[in-house]
Amino acid sequence: MDRADKIGTGVSAVLHLGVIAWVLLGGSWFKPKPSEPIVMQEVSVISEAEFSAMVAAAPKASETPVAEMPAQPQPQPVEQPAPEEAPVPEPQPQPMPEPVAEPEPQPDMSDLEPVEPAEVTEVPPSMMPPVEVPQDTTTPDFSARPVPKPAPRVAPKPAEAPAPDAKVSELAEPETRPEESAEPEQVIEEPKEEAAPPEATTEIVTEATETEEVAKTSAPASSARPRTKPAKPAPAPTETAAAKPAAATKPAEAKPATDAVNDALAEAMAEEAQGTGGTGRAASGPPVTAGEKEALIVDVKACWNVGALSSEALRTTVTLRVAMNPDGKPDIGSIEMVGYEGGSDAAARQAYEAGRRAIVRCGSDGFPLPAEKYDHWREIEIVFNPEKMRMK
Amino acid sequence: MITASFGQIFAAAQADVMRRDAETGYKGPRPERGMASMMRIALAALAALMIGPAMAQAQQGPLRIEITDGVIEPLPYALPTFVAETGDAGQMANDITRVIAADLSGTGLFREIPESAHIQRFGAFDMPVSYPDWQAINAQALIVGGVSMQGGKVVVKFRLFDIYSGQQLGDGQQLAASPASWRRLAHKVADVIYSRVTGESGYFDSRVVFVSETGPKDARQKRLAVADYDGANIQYLTDSSTIVLAPRFSPDGGRVLYTTFETGFPRIKMLDTRNVAATLLPEIPGTMTFAPRFSPDGGSIVYSMEQGGNTDLWTMGVSGGSPSRLTNSPAIETAPSYSPDGSRIVFESDRSGTQQLYIMSAGGGEPTRISFGEGRYGTPVWSPRGDLIAFTKQHAGRFHIGVMRTDGSEERLLTASFLDEGPTWSPNGRVIMFTRESPGAAGGAQLFSVDISGRNLKKVDGVGAASDPAWSPLLP
Repeated sequence: MDRADKIGTGVSAVLHLGVIAWVLLGGSWFKPKPSEPIVMQEVSVISEAEFSAMVAAAPKASETPVAEMPAQPQPQPVEQPAPEEAPVPEPQPQPMPEPVAEPEPQPDMSDLEPVEPAEVTEVPPSMMPPVEVPQDTTTPDFSARPVPKPAPRVAPKPAEAPAPDAKVSELAEPETRPEESAEPEQVIEEPKEEAAPPEATTEIVTEATETEEVAKTSAPASSARPRTKPAKPAPAPTETAAAKPAAATKPAEAKPATDAVNDALAEAMAEEAQGTGGTGRAASGPPVTAGEKEALIVDVKACWNVGALSSEALRTTVTLRVAMNPDGKPDIGSIEMVGYEGGSDAAARQAYEAGRRAIVRCGSDGFPLPAEKYDHWREIEIVFNPEKMRMK
Repeated sequence: MITASFGQIFAAAQADVMRRDAETGYKGPRPERGMASMMRIALAALAALMIGPAMAQAQQGPLRIEITDGVIEPLPYALPTFVAETGDAGQMANDITRVIAADLSGTGLFREIPESAHIQRFGAFDMPVSYPDWQAINAQALIVGGVSMQGGKVVVKFRLFDIYSGQQLGDGQQLAASPASWRRLAHKVADVIYSRVTGESGYFDSRVVFVSETGPKDARQKRLAVADYDGANIQYLTDSSTIVLAPRFSPDGGRVLYTTFETGFPRIKMLDTRNVAATLLPEIPGTMTFAPRFSPDGGSIVYSMEQGGNTDLWTMGVSGGSPSRLTNSPAIETAPSYSPDGSRIVFESDRSGTQQLYIMSAGGGEPTRISFGEGRYGTPVWSPRGDLIAFTKQHAGRFHIGVMRTDGSEERLLTASFLDEGPTWSPNGRVIMFTRESPGAAGGAQLFSVDISGRNLKKVDGVGAASDPAWSPLLP
C-alpha cells in the first residue's frame, strides 16, 4: 500500500468514524424536543332538557352566601374572652391612688454601711495543716536553709577552706599558687579575691557566726529534701559566678586566640538566643515537631475558658511562661506572665488568671509531650490570644 | 539561626586583630604577628566547623505556642450556704446565699456547683480551705461567708478563693445593714465577687425604673414603677390615671424623667424618687415635649420638642432656664442619648428618608450618620463604657436589639422577635435590658435582658407586664 492509499484509507476511516459518532451522539443532541402531548378535555354532551333542569335548580345558590355570613360574627365572641382575661390583673388599678399618696418608702439605703475590710482579713485562711514529713530525722541540727559559706574577706583567718574548690577558675590558678610560698595569711587572702568569688555568697558571715558552723557545713550529707521546687535560681548564679572570675583574674593579655574564639562564640550564641529570652541552656535531640506542638495546643485550649472574661480582657493577649517537670506536668509555682498587649493592667491580670487556670487544669494530668525531648520543652511560653473569642 | 556562625567567627577573629592594633596604636605591617593572626583565624574557623552544627540543632529558649481559641462556658463556682454565726441568723444566711447565687448564675458567666456535690463542709467561717476537695469537683472559685445578727443589723462577711491558684482572691469583706435591706447586702456581695473574677464592675445592686402595664392592649393602663434589677422589691411611683412613657434615671439615681399625657399632650415630668414628688418641666406653649434624658452630669436634659409639626432636639437646664435648639431640620429628630463624657449625642432621625442613627456634638452642629445597614434604626443608647451604642432595628418585619461601635462599625444584632425595642444598659455596660412584646390581642410587653455577647437572653421575672425599662447606676 503506497502513501496515497494510506492517506485515503485514513481519511475514509476518520469520515466513517465521524458519521458513526454523529449517528450515535448527534441524534440525541440535535433531536428536536418532543412536542408536549395534546391534552384532551373530555366533554359530555347534555340535552337541552337537562340544561334547563340545572338552571332551574340554580336559585338555591342564593341561600348559601347567607349561610356563610354567620361565620364572621363568630370571631367576635372569640374576642370577648380577651377583655375578660384582662380583668384578672385588673383589681390592681383600684387601689392605684395609694402609691401617689404614700411617699414610697425608699428602701433605707442609708443604713447600708460601708465596707469594713479589715475585720475579715485578720485570719488569713491557710492550707490544710501540712503533713508531717519524717525528714527531720536526718537533719536534726541544721536549719534547712543552706549555711552561707565563709567569706574569707570578712574572716581574716586563713583556714584550709580555699584548698579544695578554689580552682574553679582555671585562669586564676597559675597566679595564686606561686605566691603560696610566702606567709600563709596574706598570700591566701589575695587569691581569694580573684578566685574565690564563685564560692562566696551574698551574705557576709561575721567571725562570730562563722567559727563553728564552718566546720559543720558538710551540707550534702544531711541536706533536707527540697520543700518546693526551687524557683530555678541555679542557672543564673552559676553563670555569673563562673564568668566573673575569668574576667576579673585575667584582664586582656592572656591568650588572644582563645579570646577571639570565645568572643565569636559568645556573639553567635547571643544572636541565636536573642528574642527567645532563653535560659541559655542548649537543648539536645531533635526538636519538638509541629504535630507535637499541635497536640499541646489542643490540650491547653480545651481548658482555656474565656467565658467569664470581661470584654476588655478579651482584647488582651497575654504571654505566660511555665517551667515543666519531666513528667509533662507544669510547675505551678513557676507560672508567670512575661508580657501582655492590648489591654489595661487589670484586664491583663484577668487574662493571665484565665490562662493560668488553663495550664493548671489541663496540666494536672501532664501534657502530651515527648519525654525524650524534655530539653526542648523544659520551659514553655504560651501566648493566649483571644482574638477569635471576641464578641463579634 | 546559626547559619552565619563561620562568617561571624572569621570576622570576629579579624576584628580582634584590628582591635588589638587599634589598642596598641600599631599601623604598619606585622611580619612577626602575621602567624599569630593566621593562627587565630584558623582556630576560629575550626571552632565554627565543630560547634556550628551542634548549635544548629540546639533550640534556645522556651518552647513557644500560641492559643487563639478556647472554650466559652460558665465558670464553675461553689457557694456553700453562709454560716449562721448567731442563732437567729439561720434563715437570713440561707436567703442571702441564694440571692448571691441567683445573681452570679443569672449572668450566664458563672455556674453554681450544687451544694450536694461539695466535699468539704464549712462549720465555721474561719475553717481553712481544703483546695484539693474543691478541685476534685472542678470548682474554680469558692465563696465562703458568715451571717450574724448584731445590734439589730445583719452582718455579712465573706471571702473568695481561687481554687486553682490555691489562694484567696482579694481581701475578705464585711457589710452590715438593716434586716429589711438584706437583698441589697446580697447584691453587694455578688457585685464584689463578680468584679474580682471578671475584672469589670458588677451591676447587681442597681434598680430599674419602667412602665408597669395592666389591662388589655386596647385599654392598657400604665404607671411608673421601680424594682431591683432582678424584679424584686417592686414599688409604684405613679398611679395609672394617665399614660406615662419612657422613664429615665438621673446619673445619681435620685430623679426620674418621664413623659406624661396628663394634659392630653406629651409633656416631660421630673420625679424625685425620695419623696415621689413629680413636677412638670417648663415648656413653650403650643408644643409637645417627649423622649427626655439627663446629661451625664445631671445638670441638663436633652429632649424632643414638636413645634408646628416639626420635631427637633432641644436642651434645657434641669433647674429651668430657656431651652436651646440643637437640631433644625424638617425631619423628625428624637431619642437623644449622651455619650458618657457628655461631649456628643446620638439620636435617630428620618432626614435621609428612613429612620437612621446620627451623632452630633452635644452643643449641636452637623450630625454624622452612623447606621447604614438595611432596615430602620431607632432608640439609640450610648453604653456607659462609651464604646458601643445599643439600638432597636426593624428589618424584614422583625425587630432586633443590636449594638454597634460609635462609628457605626461592627454592628451585631443580639435579639430577634415580633417586637423588641427600647434598650437600656446595665451600669457596667455588659447587659442590655429591653421590652419584648408578644403578638396577638392577648399579647403583652415584658422585660428581657441579654448579654452583649448575645448570650443569656432571659425574662426579668417578678415585674409582670412592663415596658420602657431604664437601668439606674450602681447604688451607693
